[in-house]
Amino acid sequence: MTPERVSYDQLLGISGCLGLALLAHVTTLPLWVPAIVVACGLIRLGLARSGRGAPPGRVLVVIALLVTPLLFVRFHTFNGLVAGTALLSVAAGLKLLETKTQRDIYIVTLIVYFVSLAALLEGDSFWLLAYLIGVCWLTTATLLRLTSGGPAPGWRRSLRYGGRVLAQALPLTLVFWLLFPRFAGPLWQIPNDSQVTASGLGDTMSPGDITQLALSDEVAFRVRFDAASPPNRERYWRGPVLDYFDGHTWSHSPTSDTTVAALQPQGPAYKYTVMMEPHRHRWIFMLDWPSSWNLPRAELNSDYTLMQPEPLSRPVDVVGTSYTQVQAIEALTPKIRNRDLRLPRNRNPRTQQLAQELRSAHADDLEYAQAVLAMFRQQAFFYTLTPPKLSDDSVDEFLFDTRRGFCGHYASAFATLLRAAGIPARVITGYQGGTLNPYGDYWILRQSDAHAWTEAWIEGRGWVRIDPTAAIAPERVERGLADVASADESLASPWQRKSLWFSGVRLRFDAVKQLWRERILDFDQDSQRKLLEMLNIPEPDGQKLVMVLAAAMGLVLGWLTWQVRRELSPRSKDETARAFARLCAKLAAAGIARLPHEDAEAYARRVARLRPDLGAVVTHLCRQYSFLRYSAPSTGVTLGQFQAAVRAFRPKASGVS
Amino acid sequence: MASLRHAASNQLRARVIRRHGRDNLPVSINRRRIYILPTRFGFMLGAILIAMLVAGLNYNSNLALAFTFLMSSMALVTMHHCNRNMLRLTVDATTEVDAFAGREALLEFELRNGSRVDRRDIEVRCLSAAGMGSVAAGESTTIEVIAPVAQRGVTRISQFELRTRYPFGWFYSWTYVQGSILIYVAPAPRGNRGLPSGAAHGGGSHSEARGDEDFSGLRAYEPGVPLKHMAWKVLARGGEPVVRSYSSLAAQPEWLDWSMLEGLDTEARLSQLCLWVVESDAAQRPYGLRIPGKELAPSGGAAHRFACLRALAAFGTGAT
Repeated sequence: MTPERVSYDQLLGISGCLGLALLAHVTTLPLWVPAIVVACGLIRLGLARSGRGAPPGRVLVVIALLVTPLLFVRFHTFNGLVAGTALLSVAAGLKLLETKTQRDIYIVTLIVYFVSLAALLEGDSFWLLAYLIGVCWLTTATLLRLTSGGPAPGWRRSLRYGGRVLAQALPLTLVFWLLFPRFAGPLWQIPNDSQVTASGLGDTMSPGDITQLALSDEVAFRVRFDAASPPNRERYWRGPVLDYFDGHTWSHSPTSDTTVAALQPQGPAYKYTVMMEPHRHRWIFMLDWPSSWNLPRAELNSDYTLMQPEPLSRPVDVVGTSYTQVQAIEALTPKIRNRDLRLPRNRNPRTQQLAQELRSAHADDLEYAQAVLAMFRQQAFFYTLTPPKLSDDSVDEFLFDTRRGFCGHYASAFATLLRAAGIPARVITGYQGGTLNPYGDYWILRQSDAHAWTEAWIEGRGWVRIDPTAAIAPERVERGLADVASADESLASPWQRKSLWFSGVRLRFDAVKQLWRERILDFDQDSQRKLLEMLNIPEPDGQKLVMVLAAAMGLVLGWLTWQVRRELSPRSKDETARAFARLCAKLAAAGIARLPHEDAEAYARRVARLRPDLGAVVTHLCRQYSFLRYSAPSTGVTLGQFQAAVRAFRPKASGVS
Repeated sequence: MASLRHAASNQLRARVIRRHGRDNLPVSINRRRIYILPTRFGFMLGAILIAMLVAGLNYNSNLALAFTFLMSSMALVTMHHCNRNMLRLTVDATTEVDAFAGREALLEFELRNGSRVDRRDIEVRCLSAAGMGSVAAGESTTIEVIAPVAQRGVTRISQFELRTRYPFGWFYSWTYVQGSILIYVAPAPRGNRGLPSGAAHGGGSHSEARGDEDFSGLRAYEPGVPLKHMAWKVLARGGEPVVRSYSSLAAQPEWLDWSMLEGLDTEARLSQLCLWVVESDAAQRPYGLRIPGKELAPSGGAAHRFACLRALAAFGTGAT
């Protein structure tokens, strides 16, 4: 390895590759990191352009000393993914700046490969993978030009060669990917530095909060039921349970009580997989009353919301079982009862009075609840996406003045009325319904499916789900929000009203995305086990997997050896004949077909006579053909040249003959 | 590390000789004699790949794993390509090479590529020197290795090495060819004594000055005579090829004799004789060489010159 000085051309190539790899990080890295790298690259290129070498070492030391603390201030660690990528990127920039020999560039190529990989640790789209494979291809082609001993081969040639190596690597890649043993969990805990911002439902609810979500078609999660899906009126996905009301906003009061009340499930059990999108909250949306789940570190809180130890920063799949109806076994603890009866004093006085009046007519809890729902149904309550703003006594104002509201308003008012009558009640936020994707047989729950409902404690039965919004606008529960909203007021975004085929395309697209997630992103131990079962291997385990991997690798490597060495066999004369046949075909298309008895020379003479404009070229080509066909190898012209000449030969059809 | 590698390489060379024996040039490189190892760059790539694998497994990212496996597979494919770059090449070499001590020997190696793929960046290493070249599909090329030679004598190269790092410099594959190449290293042409003829005729410069001028008749053509001395007109008339003879050529052939150089040590004598051979040849005067154990009758031309130089190179070495 002779330390050769690098040229401008080589630097330009590798700087381009580094830039393209960094482009995949642009959304996660702080902007000044790629800016530093680009500046380094430009300075080095400028120096190389004017024929100067790398700046002295102390300049680099100064830059490194300046940038490293800056990075640390920004991230507080170098252990995390983004911080590590930032550090690596800066290192690549500095390496580029100090590049003197080819060996320095080799190191930059390795960094480019690793930076590309880091992008895949964060992102998960097909396009990202395709883009980074493209970057890898380009980098490898650049490397071919760098390592070449003589004059560097042209870009086209290098790309073709790199593409060929890439293509030959694909079968082996597939074998590795399918059969390389996967571990169940991470090797060590990953620092959580993902930049995903919190989205979706929060852990408080003020009037109008959910209205904002109603217009978002962002996917919150997807669900696939193992067997039949529960009916629409049963598909309530439990999120944060809100028990504290200050008269305007509902929130979750921190309790020390973490005991999970035992329940007697009723009705069918539903087994399903929830595929959560990252939302930066700790909760996971499970069907109403979850009884089992496969996340070892997640736990139910006392309100039956499934909580993760830390916020969800990457997509998570949960296999769970739930019931939609339960029967309490134990009585409500006094602590919870007090919590769920509390109302702010001196707030919403008219509501309190209304509750007293209704309560005196309906002593039974359920009857009382029915009476309130009947009031919503019979009186002039409207369901709208654009409710008027409410002041501090929000429930009073809503029940007696505006009477226009969204699910949050109804849930809030209903829970207040129940509590005022001495019935423990709370507001549940979550999602309801969802859209079935017929192309993938799973449910999509978008932010627009966000919902709020109530649960009331009925003595002898336990918590009973009551959805007051269903009383005012039954279609709201029976069908999706989009339909109701557009029927009511056309606030929904234009796509929601577009023709059916458009939503069909959307669903198809989502189904492909889902397939990508389930088949590729979620490929795991279990999938490998199923794969081995498909290969008729009994009782698949890790050891058998490795054996299959070894066997498959042997096969593919054998294929590769054959594939690579196949090209070593000498060129047959047939190729010469084939090239000549192509020439004849071209001439035939131009109007002069070769007669069966004509040899190359005679044919050339005839062409020259009929088409003087082509004469010289054709005579030359026919002579080359005779050379290749009948004289000893390696005289005069090569087959490659002849083939190229035939390929370049384009006779114009003409009426001269 | 370097010395370890060196020792291992020596071991391997010895084993290769034991296993394959001598090669008769030209040799076709078969797969059993090609060795392959990662370069230092290749080892660095390996380390990066392991880091990628660990990262992919730790983050449980199937896409990162796919990328890692793609890169690893590309490295394996590259290994095959590196091996193939040398496979079934035919190697030939000029087996007898002449050089002067203290200068360089020009070793020529011919590579023939009968396959459909180009072979690029093949390095030939010999006598701690190297030359590099590429051979397009179906063609052949000559790679020159310019090796400095210090010692007079006959150097026998019994092994040379072909090496390639194509395509990406991650691997290098190499092979040893047990072909025998003789380098006749003539003594450095050096000395301060005039040509012996100069002493007899009163000054070498005088005789040289007259050399081409005094036409003295025609004589029969013999190979090695400078073309400008050919009597083209005679030939054109349909006669036998004849050569114009000049007074100096016609002059008494000189004997370059070992015994004329009493008082000098062996190498100095040989150097002086070598200088005389070169000068006489340049002056196109017939000369003979007489050294202990060898006598070359007076003559002229390239063949004679080489014979004389090789005799000087081989003097006292036991080789002939």
